[in-house]
Amino acid sequence: MIKQAAILVLLAAILGLGVNLVSPNKIAYVGSYRTLSGGNDPIVPPAAAPGDPPFIGLDVAQLEFNAGGAVFIDARETEEFDCGTIPGAVNIPFEHLPDLPLAPYFDSALSGAGKDQHLITFCSGDECDLSLHLSRNLQACGYNRLSIFFGGAREWENAGLPVERRRHCDD
Amino acid sequence: MIDNELLTLVVRLAVGVTFIYASAYKIIEPGTFAKSLWYYHLVPGQLINLMALILPWVELVCGLALIVGLLYDGAVILVNMMMAAFILALGTTIVRGIDIDCGCFKAGQAATEAAWGALGFDLVLVLLTLQLLFSRSKCWRLS
Repeated sequence: MIKQAAILVLLAAILGLGVNLVSPNKIAYVGSYRTLSGGNDPIVPPAAAPGDPPFIGLDVAQLEFNAGGAVFIDARETEEFDCGTIPGAVNIPFEHLPDLPLAPYFDSALSGAGKDQHLITFCSGDECDLSLHLSRNLQACGYNRLSIFFGGAREWENAGLPVERRRHCDD
Repeated sequence: MIDNELLTLVVRLAVGVTFIYASAYKIIEPGTFAKSLWYYHLVPGQLINLMALILPWVELVCGLALIVGLLYDGAVILVNMMMAAFILALGTTIVRGIDIDCGCFKAGQAATEAAWGALGFDLVLVLLTLQLLFSRSKCWRLS
């Protein structure tokens, strides 16, 4: 019985690792993931790649918020943004980015913020990649001080930090 | 009753087809499945991709083995072990309040409700896999 189970697992391993060699959706055999610790450590998503802007945790996001120098950018839909976001955040819904050129769009959305302005993107939480994708687009347009707060609005709100609500929403 | 040959055959086919079906999207989209695994926060980061590549194939070969009746006893042990692991993973996730896409059958399912639904489904499925474990029927097997 155990021998049969071992044969099946071995067969599955050979097939799984072998098919990945030729699969159009192949992935690295060893991924680089960071386990969510529950502390202030930044949450880094599976989709993160070398060259992406740095990920910051709740503690750094809070420091930047209190210091007031950074612009927080909410990458979610406007409906979600209106339901509650980090106070003062700008809404740039990633799903509704226009076709090229993006640079003037970002320039307008960020009220002409300089390329050196510290921008912190976020979305709802660690199930959401919008903040990562938006930051890559901003990076491509020359913004060079970017951070991603991947814990997002949920981690912010769960920590009891202030939330700006433009309308009342049922969760 | 539990040793009934026809019942065992029907359960074998049902569990086999379910495991094959469950393996399909994970095999096609290993990256999406890896992401689902990551959200459980249960597997060390370095092992997530390996698990995402191998586990769906274990489901597939076990499903086929159950249907064909080849390496049958090994497949029965493995599906029961997998069911125990799935139920434990989903249960702890719900208890810890982690908002996940369960990654059970397809990508992008709604979070917590999907976890509850999947847990309910797994609890039914585990009754079937336990029937296979305790049934002494040896009919319609190749091995």
